[in-house]
Amino acid sequence: MAVSPFASRSPSLTVSSPNAALRLRAAAAQNASGPVATAKSVYSADRELTEQLNDDVRQKYVKDKRLGEGTYAIVYLGYLRDNPSSYVAIKKIKVNAEYKDGLTMDAIREVKYLQELSHPNVIALHDVFSSKDQNLNLVLEFLPRGDLEMLIKDTAIHYGAADVKAWMGMLARGVWFCHENFVLHRDIKPNNLLIASDGEVKLADFGLARSFADPYLNMTHQVITRWYRPPELLYGARQYSGAVDVWSMGMVFAELLLRIPFVAGNTDVDQITKICEAFGTPTEENWPGVTELPNYIPPDNNHLIPLQGREFFLRQFPTAGPVGADLLMSMCALDPRKRSTAVQALRHAWWTIEPRPTKNEDLPQKSGAKKMGEDLGRRGGEIDDGMFKNAARQLDFGAMK
Amino acid sequence: MASKKGIDRRDEDEVCPVCKSSRYLNPNMRFLINPECYHKMCESCVDRIFSSGPSSCPVAGCRKTLRKNRFRAQTFEDIGVEREVDIRRRVMHILNRREEEFDGKRAYDDFLEQREEIIANLVSRTDVAKTEAQLQKYATENMQSIRTNQAIEEQEATSFQARISLEQEEARIRRQAAREEMENERREMQAGREDFLSRLAAGNPSDAASIARESHKVHLRKSSARRSEEDRLRQKQAALRGSELKRGTNLTSVENAGPSDTGLIKGLRKIKTPEPEKPYDPFMGYVPGKRDYVTLQQSYPSQYLDRLRKNTQAAAGGYDLQEYYSRTLTEAFAGLACFVEDEVAQRDAGLSKATAGEGAAMAAVSQ
Repeated sequence: MAVSPFASRSPSLTVSSPNAALRLRAAAAQNASGPVATAKSVYSADRELTEQLNDDVRQKYVKDKRLGEGTYAIVYLGYLRDNPSSYVAIKKIKVNAEYKDGLTMDAIREVKYLQELSHPNVIALHDVFSSKDQNLNLVLEFLPRGDLEMLIKDTAIHYGAADVKAWMGMLARGVWFCHENFVLHRDIKPNNLLIASDGEVKLADFGLARSFADPYLNMTHQVITRWYRPPELLYGARQYSGAVDVWSMGMVFAELLLRIPFVAGNTDVDQITKICEAFGTPTEENWPGVTELPNYIPPDNNHLIPLQGREFFLRQFPTAGPVGADLLMSMCALDPRKRSTAVQALRHAWWTIEPRPTKNEDLPQKSGAKKMGEDLGRRGGEIDDGMFKNAARQLDFGAMK
Repeated sequence: MASKKGIDRRDEDEVCPVCKSSRYLNPNMRFLINPECYHKMCESCVDRIFSSGPSSCPVAGCRKTLRKNRFRAQTFEDIGVEREVDIRRRVMHILNRREEEFDGKRAYDDFLEQREEIIANLVSRTDVAKTEAQLQKYATENMQSIRTNQAIEEQEATSFQARISLEQEEARIRRQAAREEMENERREMQAGREDFLSRLAAGNPSDAASIARESHKVHLRKSSARRSEEDRLRQKQAALRGSELKRGTNLTSVENAGPSDTGLIKGLRKIKTPEPEKPYDPFMGYVPGKRDYVTLQQSYPSQYLDRLRKNTQAAAGGYDLQEYYSRTLTEAFAGLACFVEDEVAQRDAGLSKATAGEGAAMAAVSQ
């Protein structure tokens, strides 16, 4: 947490400070006199201190029914032993010998970055503990009201500019907070934006997150679900910035307004073609250095599309209004240096003009909410729909450090 | 109107106290009063004295300045009653709080009593100046609520009128229906009797009894059918009335807002005035770019970074050196001015105070 400039609640996985350990030892010595030493957790002198700490956390939660299962995790509904009305989601990571150290990279990333971030628009990681068979369990905030993708696809739900503004505001705040703490999310898409019971949108699935890279350090370009992947990643850039998340945010914004994915390519090349058709062809003039990117595809010179201006966005997204269209345009600049950052996006005039963002409690919601964790039935980056079948992201962990 | 006529008829030789002309000489004479002083005078005197503008009352000893437009015909025979009614109307017009604005029945009753007291004071001329001042103060302070309540009252009056006229119309229709029905019944009976007689005349004498029974039965059946028809009609009308009533209540449910604390009236329900919405803050209270120990520069000279600055590929990919500066500087200064011992001592103190604190905090976080 030392990195973050913000005060943060530290999850109890950090209790392994010497002081806490001493207290536990004292409690163990007194045996059954302190409040911690209940019948459920009897400390024997020869047990490892870490085990005792782990048990302590584990005893705090009760696992309830299963919510969903994925290739690398099972999600259970759980609640606090002290307070059965406070729900949590317990994500049990399967141990698999295939992976290095038996754990997937996704799980490690999720723990690593979620424990750093505490913000209303980022899913909270309450605790981490291991269960009997050495499985890793992440205790996450329970978000029962589905995700933004469900709302976009549900034709029975009608929403307007004020609702879009409210959702986008929460998304932008979440992304901004990650960037402020030097974390790239790298998989922003509507079905990773979960909705809490109070209507708050929360950024979830940090399985692809990483912190900002040091200079000269290559990052993988095979991240972010294709439809939300920015052109620099499609062109194979290995050094990039928070601008990649801003592009995804812009795509989510466009999708919220249109209620269909805005640029949905079937392959990476198709995706580039679609982006060029929609926003204009990248050239050395409008994006200096683009031709030097590893996977750059020289465009057909007879078929150059000029960079789209403000009128294009206004025509395509009339719901957003002129100011909203301007914001969207600034988030969809081809050149990542010209793209607005998350802070700049949040400082845009659109947030303060009419209509005022809908209050959380008035936001449209799906009645028969899908349970959290159902989306774990598919691999990260995959989307359940037939249309999405070919959109799986390819992860190239070998190329990463 | 009727009472005015009554006055006219009653006092044949009434004399105008101003010009001394009597009704005997001028049978069309009308007496007018002014609510300033309630001195009676005839119409011609009013015209004569006040046509050219406000003037003082011609009655000896009365120095009130009167205006012509305030003169009106007397409604009540007793001038005292007339005056009290006027005062009451005026006070009720200002103190027009409604029962639903009060905390409870008791508070409303107190208010009614207070209002009666004020009226009584004004009528009996005790503490007039003080009471008037109170009233005036209240009126200026509660202009808004007085107006809304007046509007509600007007609405109620009109909807009441509408209901009355509707009921009258219904009654008229009912009466007409009943009259028609009676006519029909009479005609049918006539026809039935004629039929019965003709059948008796045509038929066998031995069948007489059975024919009589049959005709009676027919009559009964018809009347029962009529009765059910009547029931149906009545139900329909009741339903109509119900919906009409509902609409009426809808009309009157007007939100009334205004300052709840009036010095004069106690026990008013506190009206929650919605707090003015704060402007939307896209950052929701967080301060972007807040760094305690660092002011970020545009660029830092560094040979290590020079190569990257020239690297067009990294630039085209959007790699942002500003992000790097910010991260490294924050990390370099992270933990400064954090005194772990103090924080631990504080936390332990908190823990010993509330052992269940952790669980509660977790609950708060997960909610």
